[in-house]
Amino acid sequence: MLAQLVFYVFAAVLLLSAAMVISVRNPVHAVLFLILAFFNAAGLFLIAGAEFLAMLLVIVYVGAVAVLFLFVVMMLDIDFTQLREGLQRHAPIGICVGGVLFAELIMALSHWTMAPAGVSVPLQAAPGLTNTAALGTLIYTHYVLLFQACGLVLLVAMIGAIVLTLRQTGSGRRQNIEKQHARTPEETLVLVRVPLGENVLEQGGFLRPQTSYYDTAVPGSYGSTGQPAVEKEETGA
Amino acid sequence: MTPAIAPIGLGSYLVVSAALLVLGVLGIFLNRKNIIIILMSMELILLAANLNFVAFSSAHADLSGQVMVLFVLTIAAAEAAIGLAIVTVYFRNRGSIQVEDVTMMKG
Amino acid sequence: MPSVLGDYAPVLVFGAISVVIAAAMLGMALVCGQQKPYPEKVTAYECGFEAFDDARRRFDVRFYLVAILFIIFDLEVAFLFPWAVSLSRIGLFGFLSMLGFLSVLGIGFLYEWRKGALDWD
Repeated sequence: MLAQLVFYVFAAVLLLSAAMVISVRNPVHAVLFLILAFFNAAGLFLIAGAEFLAMLLVIVYVGAVAVLFLFVVMMLDIDFTQLREGLQRHAPIGICVGGVLFAELIMALSHWTMAPAGVSVPLQAAPGLTNTAALGTLIYTHYVLLFQACGLVLLVAMIGAIVLTLRQTGSGRRQNIEKQHARTPEETLVLVRVPLGENVLEQGGFLRPQTSYYDTAVPGSYGSTGQPAVEKEETGA
Repeated sequence: MTPAIAPIGLGSYLVVSAALLVLGVLGIFLNRKNIIIILMSMELILLAANLNFVAFSSAHADLSGQVMVLFVLTIAAAEAAIGLAIVTVYFRNRGSIQVEDVTMMKG
Repeated sequence: MPSVLGDYAPVLVFGAISVVIAAAMLGMALVCGQQKPYPEKVTAYECGFEAFDDARRRFDVRFYLVAILFIIFDLEVAFLFPWAVSLSRIGLFGFLSMLGFLSVLGIGFLYEWRKGALDWD
């Protein structure tokens, strides 16, 4: 009885929040409802006995994927009202199509039996193992090829994300860490006695430290192309 | 070993999963202009598939369904990462994420 | 199944406690604080002039790249958990398959290091 009650609560909140994801105007709210939906799906997983997957859903989806969506929604500040304008127009026909699809799925579910061959060889782990350990005994031995394919998919995702979004701006100053650590005060600091009441520009402008400032910059980044040890900066006022 | 979903029944899980799938499809249908909501709807569809996998795995006391869910989660995360990266690059190049404008990419 | 739900009853207790604490913090601020909003007070403070535009600023893309790389390695760690729990049962083969997986992702890690995706400037 308790399990049924919990199931219905989780399922109801899951479906409601999924409906909110596709219908709210503000995309930030949509992402938050997506998080709620994943949380409730984790609850359903838990009731079905898939404890590890429930925790994984919370960690990976709530912790990472939803945050990624939130990043993108806030990164591209877009006028989202104009993206919504077709909603009312498409709503009636969309609901009709959805209703037909749902009715067909329910019809298919209610007149369906499992082929007996499908259940003949269940892959069961040894009894007494926790859910996580039982999964572990299968993934790395029986499903080793799929597991390696997952590694390749992750590799492709990593490389693809870097290729797509990484731009070398070159505007920042990157330091050669070893050289920076090896600098001593003698080659870095210059003490200049400045006469009172005189313009700084007449003393040679603002003084950069000596050559080590340029040496420590990584080639290609800011500050590595400066030639003189003392450069005059145009700071008039 | 009695399945963990015995008190609830496989059918309830399948109905919930079917409703989630329909909501995901509906989301793609209704928000044809907003590619971020479309990506979220795809996540909902994949979640419906995962729910089916878990329900059958629990009903048959067969763990391979749960292993499949693990792999589907990996694929879904990779897909979200790449899809959002494409959206970001597209927004930087064109200044909008209107789905209709994406046809300019051909050629 | 009551046993599974019974196992997670402490989680429910923790969740209830956190909800109570969060609600208490917000509710006390709502009840005890003095709130007299008027339009001049709730506008954004912009050093005397009108606000130029929305308070929402666009993030740099580099935050996004860091988030993606976090997801990838998050999943990698997610695969490590069952492996660590069942290492005594899967033998040398399971150990080596995880090493293959890790080396594939290690190649990706070396790539992103070489490309400078981990450098902030």
